[in-house]
Amino acid sequence: MDETDAPVDESDPIPPSTATGGLREYLRDHAVHAAVIFGFLLYPLAYEALLATPAAPFAEAFLPAVTFMIVVLYMGLFAMSFDFVSGYTGYLSFGHAAFFGTGAYFVVLAANGQVPGVPGGTPFMITLLLGAVVAGLLALVIGSVSFRLTGVYFAMITLGFAQVIYELIRSWGYVSTNPTEGATVSGDALAIGVPYVDALSLDVGRLTGESVENLLGLGVDLSATVVSYYALGIVVVVCYFAMQRIIHSPFGRVMIAIRENEERARAVGYPTYRFKLAAFAVSGFFGAIAGGIFAAYSRSVAPDGTFYFLVTADALITTIIGGFGTLAGPIYGTLFTQGLEDVLSTESGGVATLLRERLPESVLQADLFGISLELFVNTAVDGRAPLYLGIVFVLFVLFVPNGILGTLRDRLGGTVGKRLPDHLRRYFR
Amino acid sequence: MSLGPLAAVVSQIAPLVDPSALLATGGTVDGLQTAARVLAEGIGKGAVYFTIAVGLTLVFGLMGVLNFAHGAIAMVGAYLGGLVLVLVVGANTGTLATILVFFVALALVFAVTTAAGSAMEVALIRPIYDRTPTYQILLTFGVSLIIEEFARIVLTLRGIQPNPQWQAPMATAPDVLLGRTELLGIGVRRLYLFEIAIGALVAVAVWAFLTKTLYGLYIRAGSEDTEMVQALGIDVRQAFTVVFGVGTGLAAVGGVLLMWDPIWGPSVLLSVDVLLYAFVVVIIGGLGSFTGTLVAAGIVGIADSVTTWLFTTGIVTFPGLSEVTIFLLLVVMLIIRPQGLYGVEEVGGH
Repeated sequence: MDETDAPVDESDPIPPSTATGGLREYLRDHAVHAAVIFGFLLYPLAYEALLATPAAPFAEAFLPAVTFMIVVLYMGLFAMSFDFVSGYTGYLSFGHAAFFGTGAYFVVLAANGQVPGVPGGTPFMITLLLGAVVAGLLALVIGSVSFRLTGVYFAMITLGFAQVIYELIRSWGYVSTNPTEGATVSGDALAIGVPYVDALSLDVGRLTGESVENLLGLGVDLSATVVSYYALGIVVVVCYFAMQRIIHSPFGRVMIAIRENEERARAVGYPTYRFKLAAFAVSGFFGAIAGGIFAAYSRSVAPDGTFYFLVTADALITTIIGGFGTLAGPIYGTLFTQGLEDVLSTESGGVATLLRERLPESVLQADLFGISLELFVNTAVDGRAPLYLGIVFVLFVLFVPNGILGTLRDRLGGTVGKRLPDHLRRYFR
Repeated sequence: MSLGPLAAVVSQIAPLVDPSALLATGGTVDGLQTAARVLAEGIGKGAVYFTIAVGLTLVFGLMGVLNFAHGAIAMVGAYLGGLVLVLVVGANTGTLATILVFFVALALVFAVTTAAGSAMEVALIRPIYDRTPTYQILLTFGVSLIIEEFARIVLTLRGIQPNPQWQAPMATAPDVLLGRTELLGIGVRRLYLFEIAIGALVAVAVWAFLTKTLYGLYIRAGSEDTEMVQALGIDVRQAFTVVFGVGTGLAAVGGVLLMWDPIWGPSVLLSVDVLLYAFVVVIIGGLGSFTGTLVAAGIVGIADSVTTWLFTTGIVTFPGLSEVTIFLLLVVMLIIRPQGLYGVEEVGGH
């Protein structure tokens, strides 16, 4: 609900600020956005600084490494695009992986010159947008038949479409010689930035990306991974604000009206079918952008990591944990799940590594129902994030159905951006 | 604009169909025999599809809950059944004894998982009936994640690879089932006959449960109008618990049946595979319809065997043909008749 339309709640101990217009209010509204972006900006530097302190083993074990933060960015964007249509119109898009995969495959195939009409060597930013448009059109096609259905049937038909595309891509020899394994970018690194302007674009990729030495003379070196993190971050921030703008526009209000009561929205005179279709296309567009930046960073795509049902499931889980129908929530949900993943994996010194190094040998060899503690740690802790994630997910569904951000908003009585400054003002008067 | 890649795309699609291979398959007598064999295999596959899907449709019919943990339970069933066989069957066990053990395993697994399913319903699903159906999907999906990972941990601790298939129980399949048998002039794999027998047994049991027991009556009435059933003073909550338990048990029975099938076999990947195929069958037949599930399983089974035959004979060279066809069946059915072949309109909507 817009602040101006909101009925004044007399019992609200902290009435919403009544300031209107002007740069001051704009900055006030976006203070929380700015703080979050600043936090994401600072994170890699803080993480690397921590690794130089005596707390390094614990930072390595319990804080997500930058490689995991990159996953947070693209999977977070994908989950946001899922939330855009599912959380705001109430139609569960169970085949959302189709759009992620379309974006990813389009970028890789275009980079290899395999897309008709797109010559090899076309800048990544252009192929990214083209791929997103293709995914948007695909969403229109899928949506035009799917939106005649509701509820479980809608979820099932979108799932069906995605599985058909998944099976086709898995066996389509044009993609690569071994299509079940996917395809790889064979050429140069893909760059995020202004097309054709080398100075304003950044190569991404763990091995192929640019690294920056002595940034702006500050004595800070940025590795290729960190540069990729920032480059992907720019795309995600732009996409987030674009989607947020749409949600807050009259169009977005109709999406919410469809979720709350579609019959009434139709009765009021909104052509809900067209609104749903448009929302689906926008969502497919941004889902493909997420897939595109994932492909640019990882430089290889596989059907199981892009088009498969479980990719949609990942977005679903993070969206529920972050907050269904909150748009920004999914990125916090992804942060949570990737954080858990990092802590429980040994890829960048997780808790299993910590236990193995810190615990004395006698404890590690201790007998536990016929198996040693070490074996237990190896099998029940190391790489077992999905198990604990499943438990957390079930607990969220049962006890925190609104997710992290949704619950926070309920507590504050509005979006964090609008209400947190008012709440904070109580303490800093 | 370069057309080179476009031509490449076209040249990729064109050779996928090879009509000369069709002509090479021979004259009419051969053709008839082939058709009969493909049909028999289709019915065999259909029996498997029916067994893995029937529990899902029962649960949905009464409770309106789409159980996303269905596949994970089938996977557990395959492993539990496998465990029983591996423990009991030795090198000297006779064919009849092995099949007897198989039925004992079937009954044991059904009993255990039915109890577990009922407990799950009481503990987890009952608290959220008043929420939108989305949350029941989410909850059961979360449960399937937990079951799957737990299975991986247990298997790894026991030194069994979670994927690919666990070979030990598959090796206990009696040699009799591996051969072919002459039936009306065609060679049919005995495994398919065995699967048809089990599928028929399950179908009869479920049909009897639906038509001869009180809970069956509640399910049939409840899938038409739950509110009316409640208004007549029936304890729907208790019926839900029983039906969810039975649905879970049937999923596990499906898993036990898959254990000897070389196409499936016990592996953790069954969790997602069974779920997706069960969805297809249940949607095509109509959510909540027993007859529909039976008919749809036959259709999907025959479509599977026909497309598999088309690929193995080289008429179509696209390797993913049968999977694509099965999921296309789902999509097409939802477009032309969303409620499925025998489904009731309105069920499964908002």
